[in-house]
Amino acid sequence: MMPFDPTLFTISAIVCWLIGMTLFLFQDKLTVIKISAHGFFLAGVVVLTVLAVMLWQELGRAPMRTLGETRLWYALFLPLTGYATYIRWNYKWIIYYSGVMAIVFLGVNLAYPDNYDRALMPALQSVWFVPHVIVYIFAYAILAVSALAAIKGLYVNYFQKSRDWSPQLADNLVYLGLGFLTLGLLFGALWGKEAWGHYWTWDPKETWAFLTWIGYLAYVHFRHHQPKKVVVAMWVLALAFVVLLICWFGVNYLPSAANSVHTYS
Amino acid sequence: MKQEKRKKPIWVKPWGYTEGWLIVLGLFITGLALQLATGGLDRSALAWPVNLVVGIIFTLIIVLGWVFLKRKTPVAWLGSIPAAVTSIAMITFLVLLMGFTLQEDAQNPVWVQKLGLSNMVSSWPFIFGIIFFLTSLGMATVKRLIPFKGRNIGFFLNHAGLYIIIIGGMLGSADLKRYTMHLHEGEIVWYANDRHGHQVQMPLALELISFNMEEYNPKIAVIDPHSGRIIPETISEMFEIDKGNRGTIFGYDVEILEFHKLSGKIGDRYEPVNDFGAAPAAYVRATCEEGESTEGWISSGSFMMPHSLVDLNHVYDFSLAMTIPQASHYSSDVVLYTESGDVEEVRIEVNHPVSAEGWKLYQYSYDDRFGRWSPSTVIEAIRDPWLPFVYSGIYMVLIGSVYLMTLGKAPVKENGEQS
Ligand code: HEM
Repeated sequence: MMPFDPTLFTISAIVCWLIGMTLFLFQDKLTVIKISAHGFFLAGVVVLTVLAVMLWQELGRAPMRTLGETRLWYALFLPLTGYATYIRWNYKWIIYYSGVMAIVFLGVNLAYPDNYDRALMPALQSVWFVPHVIVYIFAYAILAVSALAAIKGLYVNYFQKSRDWSPQLADNLVYLGLGFLTLGLLFGALWGKEAWGHYWTWDPKETWAFLTWIGYLAYVHFRHHQPKKVVVAMWVLALAFVVLLICWFGVNYLPSAANSVHTYS
Repeated sequence: MKQEKRKKPIWVKPWGYTEGWLIVLGLFITGLALQLATGGLDRSALAWPVNLVVGIIFTLIIVLGWVFLKRKTPVAWLGSIPAAVTSIAMITFLVLLMGFTLQEDAQNPVWVQKLGLSNMVSSWPFIFGIIFFLTSLGMATVKRLIPFKGRNIGFFLNHAGLYIIIIGGMLGSADLKRYTMHLHEGEIVWYANDRHGHQVQMPLALELISFNMEEYNPKIAVIDPHSGRIIPETISEMFEIDKGNRGTIFGYDVEILEFHKLSGKIGDRYEPVNDFGAAPAAYVRATCEEGESTEGWISSGSFMMPHSLVDLNHVYDFSLAMTIPQASHYSSDVVLYTESGDVEEVRIEVNHPVSAEGWKLYQYSYDDRFGRWSPSTVIEAIRDPWLPFVYSGIYMVLIGSVYLMTLGKAPVKENGEQS
């Protein structure tokens, strides 16, 4: 019943990123190629933004309720984060990683099309809903890139036996990502007070959000104290991302979540 | 860490991670023993003013301890990162256990209950862990606070803010009151029920004028009439019912010719009515690929009316059905009476609690047998005197997290690009 087809937008975004990434491989050859590489990559982001806005209007609510809808935002913010990181710090590999990750997420959405539904349960109808979700997805996108930086660091360490590697990108991303994660956690607490009567109830989703947060906190403190022990720090960072993924997708399947108020489809 | 161990024996200045892990182990074993011997902590033992006294003494010990004893090895260590990291690790471990265990005694085996796993936040290992964590956090805060330096402000907001949130939340939970008030139309209710069903006198009274519910339009679905289940392949084809809407579902072209949000059955048709127990109904036409079409009324029904289906084939394997509409808003209009004699009419809605006499009143529940026609409502009354204190901590960390985002350092040139 959608007056437009989300699939079309999704596929166009994927195609834009694929072309963009391919062109980035050859960007040194010609300026035209370089400019088109940037153009196509950003066009993918724009297409997806348009889809998000249209969905928002069509549904009459923020499209942030179902897992499929959050995957859409993730696929939007991840390439954006990757692109910004590339522009700021010039790590080219991030473009490919973030692009591929975003395509995977959109692929999942294509395989399991959402049944777009206008209904938004009353507890979610709050001024906190949008800032809470946006800030969280943004944090997740940034921290995903930091996890990739960690995996790359571990790879370089174990397989290339090289110490010539700096975790500075990971650090910078974690400061940013943890800042957003903290905002998300606290917005959630303030919202919880208005919607459910208390700011913190150790509900399973909250428990796992806390674990995610404290994992990154451990990373920040460990790095501050022992900047030389890069390998241990990168393991902490990679594991923290596993916890993040459990928090995002896994909680619905845990026995401890039987009574959760936060398990949506 | 191995190198460190060889360089210096344990418990010799300065302490590092090894000492931290041993302390964690000690706290854990002691906590477990206490847990098995006495069961968890009874929160109500901390009720006002005990919690205030405990909080002040604890904080004073940290501040004075740092000021006068900061040269002692254990105190210096508590304000260091190894203490922070090991205490964070201890909390992480315990919360991880909590993350895998349903936090409800009744639904867990006895050994889980005995170990305190099903009530983690009141268990002794957790409380010992939090005390270690708070001590480290507090010491770190004071360490950077005295002498005060302007550039430490971000650090202070994060660490002091978190200290305030955690200590206020833990101690304050002993004073948190969550009661429910069950209201029926036309009755003035001055009491509430606690979680165990005991009645408590309230300093305010509520009288229900009306319970209100708005609903989203229902959707059209194809179900198996015997099981009542939606045919799985059609889930993504379901669409919203409204007059004129049309879509393809299960290979049928389905049109909604008529839709009444509230209706009653009159003879063999549905007419719009606004009576108690009215239900939504729609007149639909389904046309199969061969061109043959079926028409009829579908309705999700209500507690007063049966539902109604349109069969799509003659062997009754699958039928068109209307889903039960979902609530978009619900609220209670009540008269609020206070002890001071005020009388006021207010609306209590989900996400929009009402404050009165130090209590916050929340729309909690209603009689779902009757849905929108519920003659009763449940209001939750919550009192949390420590809230302003905890919120001040939350605001500090909110600002602190913005500071955190600025900590990224300028890029170092990494011998060109590595990829
Ligand atoms: C909101 C949560 C927290 C944030 C954002 C945070 C952030 C930081 C940062 C960025 C530093 C590096 C110092 C600086 O650049 O100013 C630091 C240091 C430190 N933090 Fe935290 N921290 C948090 C919670 C904690 C907790 C829970 C503990 C203890 C259990 C702790 C203990 C310490 C210690 C001991 C230092 C080193 C201080 C020093 O040696 O001067 N922090 N923290």
